[in-house]
Amino acid sequence: MIGSLRMYGVFTRKSFQRAAAYRFDAWTRILGNVIMLCMWGFIWYALYQGRGSVESVTFHSMLSYILVSQALQGIHGAGTPLWEIQERVRTGDIAIEMLRPYDYPLRMLFTDFGSIFFYFLTAVLPLYTIIFLILSPVLPTTFLQWGLFILSATLGYFIRYCIELTFGLFTFWLVETGGVEDIFYFSISLFSGSVVPLWFFPDWLEQVARYLPFQGIYYVPNSIFVGQLSGHALLMALFTQIGWLVLCFAILRYVWAKASMKIVIQGG
Amino acid sequence: MLQNWLRGMKMYFYMIGVSIRTQLQYRYAFVMNILGWAMTYAGTAITMWVLLYSFGAIEGWSFWELLFLFALSVLSWGVCVVFFFHFRMLDQFIVQGTFDRFLVRPIHPFFHFMAMKFDVGAFGQFLFSIIAVAMAYNQLDLHWNVWQWFVFLGAVIGGTLIQGGLLIVISAMAFWTTRSERLYWVIMWPAKSLMNYPLSIYPRVVQVLVTFVLPFAFVNYLPALLLLGKTRGIYSPYWGFFSSLVGAVFFWLCFQLWMLGLNRYKSAGS
Repeated sequence: MIGSLRMYGVFTRKSFQRAAAYRFDAWTRILGNVIMLCMWGFIWYALYQGRGSVESVTFHSMLSYILVSQALQGIHGAGTPLWEIQERVRTGDIAIEMLRPYDYPLRMLFTDFGSIFFYFLTAVLPLYTIIFLILSPVLPTTFLQWGLFILSATLGYFIRYCIELTFGLFTFWLVETGGVEDIFYFSISLFSGSVVPLWFFPDWLEQVARYLPFQGIYYVPNSIFVGQLSGHALLMALFTQIGWLVLCFAILRYVWAKASMKIVIQGG
Repeated sequence: MLQNWLRGMKMYFYMIGVSIRTQLQYRYAFVMNILGWAMTYAGTAITMWVLLYSFGAIEGWSFWELLFLFALSVLSWGVCVVFFFHFRMLDQFIVQGTFDRFLVRPIHPFFHFMAMKFDVGAFGQFLFSIIAVAMAYNQLDLHWNVWQWFVFLGAVIGGTLIQGGLLIVISAMAFWTTRSERLYWVIMWPAKSLMNYPLSIYPRVVQVLVTFVLPFAFVNYLPALLLLGKTRGIYSPYWGFFSSLVGAVFFWLCFQLWMLGLNRYKSAGS
């Protein structure tokens, strides 16, 4: 157990060093992230002009929501993207991974940790600390709220990871994945509440979103951060996240088990 | 001179013919590629609709006006994708040393690289944008005069040249930094997304930047002011007429930059 943990730790360390070697790429990525942050900031500012609060949410809270959402999106984006997983399946590189004495989904997770640590420490953390200090948006007021936010954001990370890898593994059956990835990207951008929180949705669409796993990725941690979710509702949301994580993880393991049986390698 | 041009054109059409046939080989991928792009843009439009559901309007723009603004940029982006989208991948050719083949053939390297692909996936952009423009035209009860149709056409031509020019600049970066694809996704794609919303929501410095430096404003915002009959704001209402002109000048400048990079190019091959 300790031994295998140490082995996976090596992947994390190597991937951290790799990210440090290619730091130019990491830092151009943060530029794109900041452009998107500015865009959503100004959009919400314009929407709120001449209004105090909408659906009992003020602009001040909304600004905080957008900030924490973009920071989390930056962290999520530092992991292995969907197209890279698909490419690895399509080119057959994944076959080599299967020969090696480790569990592929777990190895991917630990590799992602490395690049995320680097990106978080050198780009997201310093930049967003400055932005938070300048704009002074709504912050969690208690240590408990901070703790719950971090817990919820971590759960959200694992949910996204399971879903994204599962979608990536569909390549085993489809080979051509145009369409599948578009469904994934659409769901993850709208239903996760990454840019528009669920409370602004039309009622029927909000109901749909609440029955999907994507809300656990950004919407729940963001809402905890800005204080829109508290007390009983907060506990319910956390349990829903855990439930979805268990389910998504089970699906991932099932799909992975099936995929290992069904390997088709192209080319000769 | 003329003969050279005619020969070049003939070659161009021959090469894009080959490119189209290769893409048609994989039927399923071909259809899914088109539908995928159309769905991606429809997804953005749905996000806009959800955004305006509780708020009604953004800076006086209703959902249908916003959709028109968005679709106008997607339409010219579609034309641009057909001809120039593969320019973002120039870095791969440079890193792998395969760019050399574009230099040793009896056709202009820029032209040759451009003719390499004729991206039929862009029909997804056309599918979305034409339907969206038609729906917005109906919903907003617009009745354009002849000159407004010319503005519309000019916006599509100008938008193609402006966005194509930017793709060429991004690809030219590969001559200096050996990176272009990533620059496209992390810088040009987010910057382009800014233009999906009315320019007036951004601070003055951004407005000046996208009007005079990287003329994104001429792609959709300025023509849309004319086409939707919006006169309020700091922009003179007839700026939208100049989209094509701005596009042509900007494209020429970008092309010069690309040629400058090309002259600096050293092969990475062994």
